[in-house]
Amino acid sequence: MDHRPQAWGRPRDDVYGAYDASYLQSGGPKTATQSPIVTGTSVIAIKFKDGVVMAADNLASYGSLARFTDVKRLRPFLSTSVVGFGGDVSDMQFLTRHLNELAIDEAYEHESSPTSSSEDDPNAPPAGQLNAANLHKYLSKLMYRRRNDFDPLWNQILVAGFDSASAPFLASVDLRGTTFTSPSLATGFGAMLAQPIMRRYAATEADAARLTREEAVKVVKECMKVLFYRDARSLDRYSIAVVTKDGVELSEDEQLERQSWAFAERIKGYGTQTV
Amino acid sequence: MTSIGTGYDLANSIFSPDGRNFQVEYAVKAVENGGTSIGIRCKDGVVLAVEKIVTSKLLKPGANKRIATVDRHLGVVYSGMIPDGRHFIDRARDEARSWRDTFKTPISTADLASRMGGYMQAYTLYQSVRPFGITAIVGGFDSTEEAPVDGEVGSGPACGAGGKVAGKTHGGPFLYMIEPSGLYWGYYGAATGKGRQAAKAELEKLDLGGPGGPTLTLEQAVKEAARIIYVAHDDSKDKEFELEMTWISGADGPTKGCIGRERLSVGEKALDEDEDEEEGKEEKMEE
Amino acid sequence: MAAMFSQNPLMNGPNYSVNDAPRVNAPEGAREHRFDPYTDNGGSTLAIAGADFTIMAGDTRLTSGYSINSRHHPKLFKIGGTTADQKDATIVLSVVGFAADGEALKERLDAICKMYRYRHGKPMSVKACAQRLSTILYQKRFFPYYAYAILGGLDEEGKGAVYSYDPVGSYEREQCRAGGAAASLIMPFLDNQVNFKNQYIPNSGEGHALQERERRPLTRTEVETLVKDAFDGAVERHIEVGDGLQMMAITRHGIEEVFLPLKKD
Repeated sequence: MDHRPQAWGRPRDDVYGAYDASYLQSGGPKTATQSPIVTGTSVIAIKFKDGVVMAADNLASYGSLARFTDVKRLRPFLSTSVVGFGGDVSDMQFLTRHLNELAIDEAYEHESSPTSSSEDDPNAPPAGQLNAANLHKYLSKLMYRRRNDFDPLWNQILVAGFDSASAPFLASVDLRGTTFTSPSLATGFGAMLAQPIMRRYAATEADAARLTREEAVKVVKECMKVLFYRDARSLDRYSIAVVTKDGVELSEDEQLERQSWAFAERIKGYGTQTV
Repeated sequence: MTSIGTGYDLANSIFSPDGRNFQVEYAVKAVENGGTSIGIRCKDGVVLAVEKIVTSKLLKPGANKRIATVDRHLGVVYSGMIPDGRHFIDRARDEARSWRDTFKTPISTADLASRMGGYMQAYTLYQSVRPFGITAIVGGFDSTEEAPVDGEVGSGPACGAGGKVAGKTHGGPFLYMIEPSGLYWGYYGAATGKGRQAAKAELEKLDLGGPGGPTLTLEQAVKEAARIIYVAHDDSKDKEFELEMTWISGADGPTKGCIGRERLSVGEKALDEDEDEEEGKEEKMEE
Repeated sequence: MAAMFSQNPLMNGPNYSVNDAPRVNAPEGAREHRFDPYTDNGGSTLAIAGADFTIMAGDTRLTSGYSINSRHHPKLFKIGGTTADQKDATIVLSVVGFAADGEALKERLDAICKMYRYRHGKPMSVKACAQRLSTILYQKRFFPYYAYAILGGLDEEGKGAVYSYDPVGSYEREQCRAGGAAASLIMPFLDNQVNFKNQYIPNSGEGHALQERERRPLTRTEVETLVKDAFDGAVERHIEVGDGLQMMAITRHGIEEVFLPLKKD
C-alpha cells in the first residue's frame, strides 16, 4: 500500500490503474478568462424625461442550458444609479462586490461633509458623491485596464442614473473598455431586437426628453416580450429598474404579461408533426 | 496617584505587585476627560450620540464629525483622545472590509467588537506601545433578512434542503463598548466620557433590558439620547457643545439598515427649542 | 509484490494531488489567449489645413459589426485646455479605429498637454504636441493603440497645420488627410479638390504638355463645402459612416464646433 499523503483518498492504483491526470495538467501557461461560462443575455435601457428605465431578465445560462432562473442582473449603486450586467455572471459578481466596497468607501468619504447637499434642490444627491456618469467612467477605466492586462471582465454593462448637470444619464461599457451613450441602449441580442423598437420612441435626446415614465416602461416591457419570443437564452421573468431623482425603484420579480404565442401554431417543420 | 504607581507605571507589560497595569488605568483617565458618548440599544435599532465640546469659535459648526461609519450597518462613537479614535476607526474599517473579502458577507456587530477588543488588548502587552486613550461604543444592526452574500445572484432553493431553518430569526440591534484594556461587553445602554455617571443614571431609568427585550422604540430612543447628552453636559465647565447623533434601524425601518443615512448635529442654541428640534427629527424619520 | 505497489511509473516517484501538479513548459509570466483585445468601431475623420485655419471633421456613428452602437459619439476632441470644457484649447485631436484606445489616447495626450502648460506656463505648440503624440503611440509599439489619429491646429506662423499618424506613431505634416473606414473613399477626392491633382487647364496642350491647374489655398467656405460633400459621399458608399457630422474650425480666435446631420441609414 502506498501510505504517502499524496495518495490519500484516491482510488488505489493497483486496483483501478493510475489516475490519468494528463487532461488536468494542461501544461500550458496560466490562463485568464478566455470565454464566458455562465452568462446573462440582453440588458436594455431607455431614457425618459425624468430618468432612465432599465430591464434584464433573471436567467443565467450555461451554454444552452437555462442554469439559474432567479439571477438578479440589475444592481443599484448608492440608490442613485443602476448598473445592468450582460455576459459572464462570475465577473458580474466580482464587479458587484467591488462596487459594494466602493459604495462603503463613499459612505466614509461623505460623512465628514454636511448632510445637506444643496439648498435649492433637496433632491440632488449629496454633493461630491459618485453619480452615474462618474460611476460609468470608473467602470470603463476598470474594464479597459483589465483588457490591457489580457484578463478581461467578460461583460457588457449599462449604467443609468444622472450626470453632474442632473440630466438623465445612460451609457455602456464592454469587455474591451469601449464606451458609448445613446438615448436608448441594449446589450447582446437586445442590440438587434430591442434597440430598433426603442429607437422608434427615442431616436434622439430630444425625443427621450419628451417621453413619459409610463411610456418608457411600456416600451421596455414590450421589448422584453420581443426578446423572450426570439432570444432562445431568455426568460419571461425579469427585473426592471426606474431611476429618477427620487432614487431607484427596482422590481426583481416581474412576469411578462399578455404573451401571444398564436404565431407558433403556424410554424411547421420542427420535430414530429402529425398534420 | 504618583506614589502608588512609582516604578510600575512607566511601561505596558509591567504589572504592579498588586496586579495592576497603570498605563491602562491612565488611559482610562484620558477617556474620563473626553466629551460624553452614549449608545442606546432599543427595540428596533441603535442610537449613538456624542457631546462634542466646541473648543474654539473658529471651528466650523457641524464639521469634524465624531461618529464614524465602519460598514453599512455599523457605527462607532468614542470618548477620549480623538487621534486614537481615528486610528481605531481606520482599523475597524479594515476589519470590516477584510471580513467581507473573506466571507462575502457583512461582519456582525459582535464579531467587530471581538476583533476590535482584541486589537485594543494588544496595545496593553508591549513596551513599545501605549494603550488607546479611548473608550469606543460600537453600534450596529445585523440584518434580519436572509443572510446576504455580497455579489450573490440568486435566492437559493425555494424548498427542500437549502440550509434554511423555518421560523428561525437572527440579527437585530447590537451595542458594545470597548475600554482601553481591551475589555468589551455587550450593553443595553452604554455611556462613557466626562458625563458618564449622569448619563448612566439616566440610561438605567429607561426600559432597555426587560425580559421581553426593550420596549423603547427608535423614535423614543433618539429623543432620550438627545436629552441624556444635555443632562450629562456640565454647563459650568464647558459652555459650548454640539450634539451629534446617528441611528440605525433594520431594513424595514427609517434608515433601511444603513447607518449614517440620517445624521444630524444640533448646535447648542437648540437647547431652548429642544422640543421643536425633536419634532423636526420625528418628521424626518417618518420619511 | 510488485502489484502491491503501483504499476504506474509515476507512483514510484513523487505523486501529486491535482492542485500540486507542476506546470510543465510554462515560462514565467507567459500567457496564451483567445481573447481579442481589439475591435473596429468604424467611422471616418477628415482634416484640411488652410492658410490661416484648420478644419477637422468626423462622423458621429459608432459601430461594432453591423450594429450601430451610438449615433452620437464624437471623434474630435479639443486638447490641452485649462478647463473641463476645454474652451481655451487650441489643438484638436481626431481618433478613429478602436474607440476605447482612441479614448485612452486622447486622455493621455490631454493630460500631457495640461502638464506641459503647468510646467512651462504656456500652451503646447502643435508641433511639439505632434511629436509627443508620435512618441506616445510608438511607446506602445508592441501592443499598439489601434487608432488612426489626426492632430490639427495652427503653427507658429498662424498657418493651418495637420499632422496624420498611423497606429504606431509614424507621422507627417500634410495639407489634408482622411482617416478611418472611408479614408480610401475620401482621400482621392481630396487629392483632386484640395491639391488639384489631375486638374489641367483646358486646351493648354496635348499629353505631357498639358498645363496643371494653378494651385491656390482654399477659403474656409470652400473647405467646409468640401468636407460636407466628402462625408455625404462617404455616407452613401460606406455602411460604417453616417448619422452626424462633427466639424471643428480652428482659427486664431479659437475653435468653433458644429454638428450637422448626415443620413442615418
